[in-house]
Amino acid sequence: MPQGIEMRHIRKYFPSSDVLACDDVTFAVTKGEVHALVGENGAGKTTLMNILYGLISPDEGQILVDEKSVRIQHPNDAIRHRIGMVHQHFKLVPSFTIAENIMLGIEPNQFGFIDSRTEAEAVRKLADDFGLPVNPNARVADISVGMQQRVEILKTLQRDAQLLILDEPTAVLTPQEVHELYTVVRKLADSGRTIILITHKLLEVKEVADRVSVMRRGRMIGTHTVADVSIRDMANMMVGREVILQVDKAPAKPGETVLKVDNLLVSGMGSVPAVFGVSFQVRAGEILGIAGVTGNGQTELIEAIAGLRPVDGGGVTLLGEEITNKNVRERRDDGMAHIPEDRLVMGLNLTTNLDENVAVTLYQKPGYSERGVVRQSALRQLAGQIVSLFQIKSAKIGEGIRTLSGGNLQKIVLGRELHGSPKLIIANQPTRGLDVGSIEFVHQTLVEARDAGAAVLLVSVELDEVFSLSDRIAVMFEGRVMGVLDRKDANEQDVGILMAGGSLEGDQSAQEKVGA
Amino acid sequence: MTPKGLRLGLENAAIPIIAVILGLLISSIFVFIAQSDPVQTYQRLFCEGFGPRGCETFGDLIIFQPQADDGTTQTVFAPTYGVGGHPLSLVLERGTILILAALSATVAFQAGMFSIGMDGQLVLGSITVAFLGYWLPQQVYTLAGVIDPETAPAGLLTVMHLVIPLVCIAAAMAVGAFYSWIAGYLKVKLNVNELISTIILNAIAVQVVGYLLRNPLRSDFNTTARTFRIDDTAWLVPFNRGIFQDVEWFSGSRTGVGIIIALGAAVLVGFYLWRTTGGYEQRMTRGSRLFARFGGVPSERAALRAMLISGALSGLAGAIQILGVERRFVDGFQSSAFGFDGVLVAILARESIPGIMLFACFYAGLDQGVINLQFGNLPRQLGGIIIAFIILFNSMEDYIRRIISRIQSRLRPPRAQLAEVPGEPST
Repeated sequence: MPQGIEMRHIRKYFPSSDVLACDDVTFAVTKGEVHALVGENGAGKTTLMNILYGLISPDEGQILVDEKSVRIQHPNDAIRHRIGMVHQHFKLVPSFTIAENIMLGIEPNQFGFIDSRTEAEAVRKLADDFGLPVNPNARVADISVGMQQRVEILKTLQRDAQLLILDEPTAVLTPQEVHELYTVVRKLADSGRTIILITHKLLEVKEVADRVSVMRRGRMIGTHTVADVSIRDMANMMVGREVILQVDKAPAKPGETVLKVDNLLVSGMGSVPAVFGVSFQVRAGEILGIAGVTGNGQTELIEAIAGLRPVDGGGVTLLGEEITNKNVRERRDDGMAHIPEDRLVMGLNLTTNLDENVAVTLYQKPGYSERGVVRQSALRQLAGQIVSLFQIKSAKIGEGIRTLSGGNLQKIVLGRELHGSPKLIIANQPTRGLDVGSIEFVHQTLVEARDAGAAVLLVSVELDEVFSLSDRIAVMFEGRVMGVLDRKDANEQDVGILMAGGSLEGDQSAQEKVGA
Repeated sequence: MTPKGLRLGLENAAIPIIAVILGLLISSIFVFIAQSDPVQTYQRLFCEGFGPRGCETFGDLIIFQPQADDGTTQTVFAPTYGVGGHPLSLVLERGTILILAALSATVAFQAGMFSIGMDGQLVLGSITVAFLGYWLPQQVYTLAGVIDPETAPAGLLTVMHLVIPLVCIAAAMAVGAFYSWIAGYLKVKLNVNELISTIILNAIAVQVVGYLLRNPLRSDFNTTARTFRIDDTAWLVPFNRGIFQDVEWFSGSRTGVGIIIALGAAVLVGFYLWRTTGGYEQRMTRGSRLFARFGGVPSERAALRAMLISGALSGLAGAIQILGVERRFVDGFQSSAFGFDGVLVAILARESIPGIMLFACFYAGLDQGVINLQFGNLPRQLGGIIIAFIILFNSMEDYIRRIISRIQSRLRPPRAQLAEVPGEPST
């Protein structure tokens, strides 16, 4: 039985992007503990764990399992040393059953024919042993994200992992699923297994981990017992300076109605309605936050409002003008700005340079092009303005943006979208995957835009974010708005109930369900 | 340029050069199999392709010492030594059509359309000018009451010589553009894969042109079907019959106005792609279709526009080949795959305009060298093998880059202090 794993003086340099991802990192875990590995994006935590799992080979340093130096050059080596990893993006075959996925590569077979009954039996036994019930014959495509994660964990356990690396495990889960996961993690730790939890949610660390290691810019800042450090301490260690965790904002001064969504019907994949009769309003100078678990129609709703997805019924009105059938450019001309969920594919074009990225919304406007010829100098000037206004370090005019960090990329998107003071700002998961420092910046920027009189429609699956930014909160579940609450009257419990599809019967806030 | 930009630029230029060297190295295995000496073979290959008359070694490609009749030698700069005609002028002749086809491919690729329909568009353009170049002047002569063109008034001939090639070229470009638009429309409206549709459209075009050539447009009972020779007034007169008839460098080559048109087209395509809103729209569409839609870029229109321009350039390539070089459409031309060679040139040049000029000429020279080599003991296939290997190594871009960066990281220690840590490359 391994007594612990140690990584000594690990160094990894990526020449293609000129990043020193791990700089003399020493990291140790002992048997039976839940060890959180925290740090901002780009701090090197995923790289470190990929090295441990054999996905990346380090330039220098050694890995010790039970005080014996080992070479891990491939995930197969890691599995042999009983190390398992659950990636942030699950690596399951959707069309296979749970049993087939768990036994993939180690199928019990006779003369090459797979015995599916034995397979299902083995998985059932495994699930019972660990108290993680699953239906071995269900297809992965049909089960929830939380269940998929459970399958991934079982997969590593089937391969007898003693050390489990979980990469951002709670990013995609509902609050209930998160709690189930915590229970599972504790149980596994109690059975003598070691868990490494990669995360940047500090609340999570406090709740479930025994010890925490903080990384910053490729260096190990320190390892502490969780009970001895506060969330603020950890945040400061991560960022390297004082962080304001609470958004400072004055009470909203709502003005006229900017966006009016009326009984909107939008179809999702395969003609099943993804948004089912949603109505709400957003007024100037306020932030309406839409809370909900991922995949409850938020993306479809936002895309329909932004003009990226056809509407099947109902209407969208911007400043009293019907825009339901207008195209994206017309909507933008009417004063709409959109910070998309996926900044890498939708928000930015990574194949081109900074100038052309900031130009996409206004290249055809007078001043930026004349008779079909783009005025390069105007674009450069605009890019320069945005870079200096938003303090986008390391972004340079006329140069590529591929190697910038997530926070800097999001600043480019923000800078472009907020240029020319839009009337309506749609922000879909504006801080997804960002580090604490960048989240702080994005939040401040949105509140400033609100105070300047913009209507902000915010979608987030992070309850904290919805609560700290919104003036009113709408909760979506299965394509419907379950209720719109005033921030003052809302508490996490009520929102949690609505997010899970429950209702607040007898509660007066439920009265607000339809009207806004 | 910043040091980093310079480094990237050098790296981009280094990859095709490394690919060429590796391609030649590996191909030498086949030269060995053919029981020849690779060094000697390559010397002859390059001399036939790029060297002056009498060139024998790699050195002769640059500095050459030709022997005069009286036995004395002189030292000259090889590329400009034109006694007896220079193979480089033939390279220009062959390169013209490749440049235009490669530009055509580039415009389509830069809109995210992997169209390889250059062949179909090109041969349709060719057959159009082969017909118009003969038929149109006939109509004009009939209308003007001229029985023998030799006796036509000089004024009329001059006007015709200015107008008819332009009309022919415009018609060929329109035909090519229309044929390309079909694939674009199918892609944009019905989401038909443009790679498949252009392959099919190429096959259809080749068959249709074959039919036209062998039936309605056949001029005589020559064993090889061919159209009538185009009228002299439709002919883009080559340099060696026109302004440069005293320059020996051009003798034996049918290079003419075509190369100037091709260079002009290259400049215009470069300007269009990198300086106009149209080019911006199509490049953004290529970079990320979602990004373009999100930003309000009319990406469908941009893709269709790119296909139209691409088709027009292919049609232009076909027109110049007939009007300036062949002067008639001879059976076999429709399957000579100049369009596909253009696609290869575009890929090899990584869609850069200067790269296309360079590689089109390199490709043309290699092709020409090999044709002349086959009179020796080496098979014609050698050229194909070399080009195939070069393209293969060229597409190992990532691998070559990784090797380059590995060497770099050995040579140069990483910065100790990182001002800003960019995104985690591992996830």
